[in-house]
Amino acid sequence: MSEFRVTLSPALGGRAAVSRKGISVEAQPEGTLLHLLVDPTMGDAVRLAADLMAAGLELRPLTTGQWFAVGDTALAHADLAALSATLKPQADIVDQSHGRVRIIVKGKMAARVLSKGTAVDLDIAVFPVGHATTTLFGHISAHVTRIGEDAFELIVLRGFAESLWDELAQMSLEFS
Amino acid sequence: MTPYRLSSGGLIDRSSPLSFSFDGQRLNGFVGDSLASALLANGRLLVGRSFKYHRPRGILTAGAAEPNALMTIGRDGRTEPNTRATMQELYQGLEAKSQNCWPSLDFDIGSVNGLLSPFLSAGFYYKTFMWPAGLWERFYEPVIRRAAGLGKATYQADPDGYEKIWAHCDLLVVGAGATGLAAALAAGRAGAKVILADEHSRAGGGLLSETAAVSGNSASDFLAQTLAELASLPNVTIMPRTTVFGWYDGNVFGAVERVQKHVEIPATHLPVERMWRIAAKQALLATGAEERPLVFGGNDIPGVMLAGAMRSYLNRYGVAPGRRVAIVTNNDSAYALAGDLEKAGIVPVAIIDGRADARIEGYTGKARMIRGGYVSDAHGGKALSSISIWQNGHTEKLDVDALAMSGGFSPIIHLACHRGGKPQWSDEKSAFMAPDGLNGLALAGACAGIDGLAACLEDGAAKGLALAAVLGFDGHAPTLPEISGDIVNAAPAAFKIIPGVRGKAFVDYQNDVHRKDLGLAVREGYGHVELAKRYTTSGMATDQGKLSNVNAIAILAEARGISPAQVGTTTFRPFYTPVSFGALTGVSHGKHFQPVRKSPLHDWAKKNGATFVETGLWYRSAWFQRSGETGWRESVDREVKNARINAGLCDVSMLGKIEITGKDAAEFLNRVYCNAFLKLPVGKARYGLMLREDGMIYDDGTTSRLEENRYFMTTTTAYAAGVMNHLEFCAQALWPDLDVRLASVTDQWAQMAIVGPKARTILERIVDADISNEAFPFLGAAEVSLFGGQVHGRLFRISFSGELAYELAVPASYGEAVADAFMEAGSAHGIQPYGVEALSVLRIEKGHVTHNEINGTVVPSDLGFGKMVSASKADFIGKRMLAREGLHSSERLQLVGVVPIDPATSFRSGSHILAKGAEATLENDQGYVTSSCYSPHVGSAIGLALVRRGPERHGEEVMIWNGLRGEFTPGRLVSPVFFDPTNEKLHI
Repeated sequence: MSEFRVTLSPALGGRAAVSRKGISVEAQPEGTLLHLLVDPTMGDAVRLAADLMAAGLELRPLTTGQWFAVGDTALAHADLAALSATLKPQADIVDQSHGRVRIIVKGKMAARVLSKGTAVDLDIAVFPVGHATTTLFGHISAHVTRIGEDAFELIVLRGFAESLWDELAQMSLEFS
Repeated sequence: MTPYRLSSGGLIDRSSPLSFSFDGQRLNGFVGDSLASALLANGRLLVGRSFKYHRPRGILTAGAAEPNALMTIGRDGRTEPNTRATMQELYQGLEAKSQNCWPSLDFDIGSVNGLLSPFLSAGFYYKTFMWPAGLWERFYEPVIRRAAGLGKATYQADPDGYEKIWAHCDLLVVGAGATGLAAALAAGRAGAKVILADEHSRAGGGLLSETAAVSGNSASDFLAQTLAELASLPNVTIMPRTTVFGWYDGNVFGAVERVQKHVEIPATHLPVERMWRIAAKQALLATGAEERPLVFGGNDIPGVMLAGAMRSYLNRYGVAPGRRVAIVTNNDSAYALAGDLEKAGIVPVAIIDGRADARIEGYTGKARMIRGGYVSDAHGGKALSSISIWQNGHTEKLDVDALAMSGGFSPIIHLACHRGGKPQWSDEKSAFMAPDGLNGLALAGACAGIDGLAACLEDGAAKGLALAAVLGFDGHAPTLPEISGDIVNAAPAAFKIIPGVRGKAFVDYQNDVHRKDLGLAVREGYGHVELAKRYTTSGMATDQGKLSNVNAIAILAEARGISPAQVGTTTFRPFYTPVSFGALTGVSHGKHFQPVRKSPLHDWAKKNGATFVETGLWYRSAWFQRSGETGWRESVDREVKNARINAGLCDVSMLGKIEITGKDAAEFLNRVYCNAFLKLPVGKARYGLMLREDGMIYDDGTTSRLEENRYFMTTTTAYAAGVMNHLEFCAQALWPDLDVRLASVTDQWAQMAIVGPKARTILERIVDADISNEAFPFLGAAEVSLFGGQVHGRLFRISFSGELAYELAVPASYGEAVADAFMEAGSAHGIQPYGVEALSVLRIEKGHVTHNEINGTVVPSDLGFGKMVSASKADFIGKRMLAREGLHSSERLQLVGVVPIDPATSFRSGSHILAKGAEATLENDQGYVTSSCYSPHVGSAIGLALVRRGPERHGEEVMIWNGLRGEFTPGRLVSPVFFDPTNEKLHI
């Protein structure tokens, strides 16, 4: 069936951005999201960063020895294999590009809206740009990174993406 | 006479009138009024009926402790019972109704209870309604509940929204009176992140009712100036209408903000209430003190009010309590009221002071002073008409229409005791004080026993500054304003039993507990404070004894001849005041009740007619109904048969999937599974059994070796998260020396099972590689490309049905397209989707187990997996405990198949197995059915069961007994594999 044309069905496909006063919620394109598992004796973020930047990816700290590398465009299968080979033996790549969904929450009220879901203190003095953690938004686990003074990136399991989206829409209702 | 609105004064906005209704009567008030102040301004003294005796009740307080003025506000779904009129802001169109009265507040049939009161003392119900016992639930309790009670909740859905939110601060100040404002300002100026919360609609506390001058200006000017400065500090948040209701572990405080409880039609984009969880590095209680009533006869008659409350209505709301006002007190504070009344043109007819030597500095009024006297009784029905004054054994009657009382002050220390601390009695303060050593919580001002505006400002500022300094914020001691005209209590009030009382002297207004009830409790052996509370109900209900506890304890102490310290108190627990279920629920109802976890094939299943079933948070397709099918069984039978004859496609994306990498991944798996994994070749899948440390089976699934150091593990759906946690624990805690790395990839892959004799034919059109039996035999595992390299996925030749079967995993967002392609490629071969019900039938027919059988009580040999357990491995989880003697007993319950003798009969999972002819008793129980279904292949019901020595008893007739339903089905034990016992189909 090589004539069959495969189409993508993104988890939040068809969801228009939520835009309210001082807050917007936007689904990112399902580009690239790699889970990096680093050999604790060999790797660190600094050594990985150059190779990943070359591939157009940014690092998000996940936990000890683990990072997410994210980018807006999908890496071709061959490019992913090449990157994987480049990073060995320092790090193993697990492709999560379809398993995680990125949502950007930004605006002056972003931290306030997110604080309806998470117990993490998002004050910029405590949670500066580049800082990341995994937390619960309501009942849904998500990884949150501050990507700007008033901008956050949430990374959520694909299966929960719609529910988290609905929660964020509800949480931001105050500013409609 | 009745209370009335003064022509001037108060902090109400007289240019903004509001109309509202009480029991259907239209009344008017102003912006800035509370419902209570507006009712008083309209001359309404009678606002409710008491709980037990249905006595007429008026407004007693001006705050959160109000026990009498409980009303039902709103209508339909917005009906809110037991609202304290003192805390309810007035708004245009507000509808209030009185409670616990019939047919009307004015004429209440229930008030006959007052006449029966000699029979209705504490403990009456316990003593009287003992027999016949059966009548209690059917008759006594319903009747009593109808006669006594508070408001009624509505049965209609609440149309409004609620939400929850977190906040974090350096310092939380609870209470925005003088103390709290000074503390917030001092800490805020020092740079600390401060939250200042207050339960009232406006910040200010006592300053809103204060007539003392602050630096030569009015208290309200000082308040406005202070609030303006606080508002200008970006690090300070002022939260009015916010009740901090509880102190919890980690210095987290619960608070409810009444966002839209003061508007007629709430805006739909805002919640009506918002529940805050405030994580504070330090907290300061500036919650003030509660004025105590005096316990004299008729102290509940409408027109009797606490002195501080009367002052509040007078000064803040411009409402005079009456024309002939008396004041009874045992401390100095009430003289401030006397002075304010005189300024408003109402000279009190008498000030009755229990202290014979009372000399009040700062009071120079014209009121008649009666020193060493008490009000022994108040008289009147629905309104106060006179009082009896007892002095030195003589009684004098005085006509009055309002009486202010002050029995001293109880520091509001509830929050300080929410984490287990017990209040400590202080003889010096004549009150219960917060315990010492509260980590992260301090008290200031009146709640710390400090009296007077100047002292409270000073204490607040000092403690705010000190707490900021603890957190590293250095500030300067502020210049405190000069206070003039403030009356400060020279000494706290001592409690005394009032002599000469004739009428009912209420201690707990809300529960109708009077002085004699407490005496009776002591006489009948319930004098311990905890017993007395239960026996009399003093301190229960919505106000939780805010006004009554200290008086009750003092009366118990007097009756028992001990000190209040020895009596002690009952326990303060959250919530400080009632919290609505709406606020506690937040958005977690309806659509937001719980998250939905959707498979990447959800939409594919939906468009193919799936009926979904909730499995944990997953929505799984249960079956795919076709037109003409009348019941689920019909659909499931068709799906099963078709999978065995043609081909079926099933969404198995919900299985847990874990990718395991690292140099020691093979060794890791070898230790995690009880069967051998070290030598699993690349390109192969293997079924694995994971044990718990106690030797019981924890989970099962297949694990495939994709590369030398890369494995793909599947787990059961239910245990996906548990297995991931288990593996992380093993890797991090048990064997940190192993190089192994784990990633959950459950959501990355849309995984589908293609099952049936025509599975390969269909799959060959999808997958680019050669998947012939020779090239890709049973238990093969490989990365494959699809549709000429458009998509890359993973293919596994594994079977849960006994048929030729594959599982294909593709990146999730391609799932729907690939499933569509399967349906298209398979249409000529009779492919049909099937759901989890058919999946279950297929696996029971094949004798495969799930967590129905792996139920925490079975070891591998119980399920016929004994030979899988490696005898040669040095170690694996569960190895040692599996060697226990009892786990090898021949008497264990073991897996067996079961069928009804008459194929027309059936049985249910959970039914028990009895030997043929044995009596249906627990002693004769030989096991139970773990899974059952109708098998189209067998043509009858079939089941899997765990039965004592099951594998040795194939062919034996038994009785299948459902004790809950009284069903007995003659059955036969058989092999658990009903389909293709020689596994030929797996290898075609």
